[in-house]
Amino acid sequence: MDKNITVLETKNISKSFGKVKALKDVNFSLYRGEIHGLLGENGAGKSTLMKVLYGLYSADQGDIFINDNKVNISSPLDSIKLGIGMIHQSSTLVPEFTALENVILGIEGKKLSLDLSGERIKVKKLANEFGLDFPLDVKVKNLSAGIKQKVEIIRALYRGAKILILDEPTTSLVENEFDQLLKSIKALVAEGVTVVFITHKIREVLQACDRASVLKDGEMMGTVSTTNTTKEELVEFMFQNKDIDVTDSALPVIELPEVKLSKEPVCSVKNISVKAQDKDGVNLQDISFDIYKGEIFGIAGISGNGQKEIAEAIINPRRINQGDIFINGESIAKLKTIEVFEKGLFYTPEDRKKEAILPSGTITENMLLGHHREKRFQHNGILNWNKITKEAQQSIREFQVKTPDEKTPIGDLSGGNIQRVVIGRALINELNLLITHNPTSGLDMGSVEFVFNKLVELKENNCGVLYINEDLDELMLISDRIGVVHAGKLVAIFTREQYDKYKIGSLMIGG
Amino acid sequence: MVDNTKKIQNDTQMTRFWQSAKPYLLAVIISFSVSGILIGILGYNVPRAFQALLLKSFSSQRGFIQTLQKFIPLTLATYAFAIPFRIKFFNIGGWGQMLFGGSMVAIVGIALASFNLPAIIMIPILLLVAMAAGAFLSLIAGALKTYYNINPIISTIMLNFVAYYFVNFVATTNPWKASLGHPMTLKIPESGRLPELLPGLHMGILIVLLIIFIIHFMTNKMVLGYEINATGINQHAAKVYGINMERTLMLTFLMGGAMAGLGGGIEVMGVHHRLIEGFALTSGAQYGIFGILTALICKGNPLGVPVSALFISALLVGADAMQRTAQVPVEIVFVTQALVVLLIVVFRSTGNK
Repeated sequence: MDKNITVLETKNISKSFGKVKALKDVNFSLYRGEIHGLLGENGAGKSTLMKVLYGLYSADQGDIFINDNKVNISSPLDSIKLGIGMIHQSSTLVPEFTALENVILGIEGKKLSLDLSGERIKVKKLANEFGLDFPLDVKVKNLSAGIKQKVEIIRALYRGAKILILDEPTTSLVENEFDQLLKSIKALVAEGVTVVFITHKIREVLQACDRASVLKDGEMMGTVSTTNTTKEELVEFMFQNKDIDVTDSALPVIELPEVKLSKEPVCSVKNISVKAQDKDGVNLQDISFDIYKGEIFGIAGISGNGQKEIAEAIINPRRINQGDIFINGESIAKLKTIEVFEKGLFYTPEDRKKEAILPSGTITENMLLGHHREKRFQHNGILNWNKITKEAQQSIREFQVKTPDEKTPIGDLSGGNIQRVVIGRALINELNLLITHNPTSGLDMGSVEFVFNKLVELKENNCGVLYINEDLDELMLISDRIGVVHAGKLVAIFTREQYDKYKIGSLMIGG
Repeated sequence: MVDNTKKIQNDTQMTRFWQSAKPYLLAVIISFSVSGILIGILGYNVPRAFQALLLKSFSSQRGFIQTLQKFIPLTLATYAFAIPFRIKFFNIGGWGQMLFGGSMVAIVGIALASFNLPAIIMIPILLLVAMAAGAFLSLIAGALKTYYNINPIISTIMLNFVAYYFVNFVATTNPWKASLGHPMTLKIPESGRLPELLPGLHMGILIVLLIIFIIHFMTNKMVLGYEINATGINQHAAKVYGINMERTLMLTFLMGGAMAGLGGGIEVMGVHHRLIEGFALTSGAQYGIFGILTALICKGNPLGVPVSALFISALLVGADAMQRTAQVPVEIVFVTQALVVLLIVVFRSTGNK
């Protein structure tokens, strides 16, 4: 890192979306060749700031300087010309193309025939230089998340990027892939590339970065050097609250009560195999596990290895091709979803917007979803809206949903408030088993803490929880046991004493 | 403070109302202006034409009754499209379902003639036959979608042709055909005809009002309506939370087809009292296709269906009046209608920007 040379600087950048001020007078600067962590909670404005730099958003006011020259960035094309590259949180590669084709996509020239021999040499050289080797001729869909990230980095470098923005690059990586990534980034900065590392995990910043800037509610709280700062200082910076107790992965610290597990499982999945419903789906093969009363059973795995299919097999057991599922000893294999719910199960899916809510429906209407055939809400097919409305109002109070009233369309609420409604809906009945998939993704600290507390409450009430999550830190914090899935198989189950990030991580990627 | 909050709430309600009304008002104003200019360019008397077009339906009892005559089949044809449209499926077969409903009413009516049933039994039977016939046709499309994943747009269009030629078959074939004159069937018995409430206005209007009420009730108060709404808003979430997509699809097609069939049956029972060969293009049956347009105006919203059907019926009556009094061709009104629909769709989708 060269402290004397500022390669990029922003002055008083502000950006609003409607009434929400996402960025307020943000000043931010980058030294050449540094790894600069950008730290903040979900919704603090990290991605917004970087999208302004990359030209995806235009700032309402403020200036951007690159090498002390004021620049105007109105589209990603501008920023690419200025040497800025961005690696987005989810892959932007074309799955059906090979790695090489992806790298040259968009700058392949205007010749009629596509001759890649020249490009092949150039890409190979670049990859060697930075220690970012990957197979050039394998279709991207067959590559792991870690390799895909390398392809994206090379794609940016190939376009001449001198400043690389990595938006939450560790989301889909396991522990040893993170180590790999860190090595690559170090090689990049040694060659004079500057890296911005967006994350909400304090641990990663301390491990990877030279300096770190902290954003909170769209305001820049300041920049510190990581060599002379501690976890506690960063926590205080991030949350502006000395009393808050968070882990170094920026998760709220929770007290897990000692719950004596029952001898009989509340849910017993026995050797189920399920054929995938759509072509992106995964076939489940011979999966077995038990969940006991008062237990939080975590499922770890890279996204798309069968987690969703396991959840859906339990709530829609008619899809099972082989095997059986028992709730309190009773088979549910022949039941419809609504009948499974009647056995005291409920589900909160991973994709909130797509699978959990009716966006233009009111909170009341959303509260009813999944409960719409229950006897207390309907009689002979005629709904008792009064009762449903009361239930919705009570849920809004109990779950502290910020909304003018229960008639507000749920799509108008923030992510955290939507999730409170979704969880509130799951808990309006006494449950035997809650299946919940990534319930904390995208939530601010207060909402994450709220979700955790609710899970603990369920545990105390002897409810079992199937907790599916891609974030291993979170799983290890809250689960009593963790099952690891890979390619549709449950490859191992760990008890709390056996938790090991590297071991679980390598099983997650099929090691 | 409390007053203030209330005022703000009222204000937002007003803005919300204007926000939602704006595309419709704009579309109507612009398309009427365009057709006004067209009428002027073609050399007709613009004020006179507009006077006839806009005021005819509501200025005289005769005009109003004419409007209601069109309103009856048009509303039912609109529901035929609007109900499946709630869950984003297109029933283009309202026309065919109407024709089939009318045909079956003629067949069953004639078959029952010798039993001398009283009207109080005969009319409900024929109405049920009409609904069953329409539903039968639309369920074919629904089943093809459910079991073979065939797009209902295609199957319903195809079935339109089947129904169209079925009318001609019935009207020209023994034992139904009348012995003399234009190809048509015998009359259905007196007891199967819908009595007139006013000269020119048969009892069908009461049936339609009842249907409007039932559909409104179903949509807002019943589990079934809730399931249809939920599926329409987000079919993925609906599926995850236990709403059976196939069942919902079949039921919306069943209801849509039944409404169209009823429309065709009512036209036979209330207007011609028999099936005539040109049924597809006369009486209210030609509105089978019009229903799609009418439903698009109100986005398939069940409460909006009668409103937009009344609007289009009034325009149709006005168009006839305009042709008589100002000699402006009726087709101008079709241009206006097409523009209204097009502009509403455009303004609605750009309204949020």
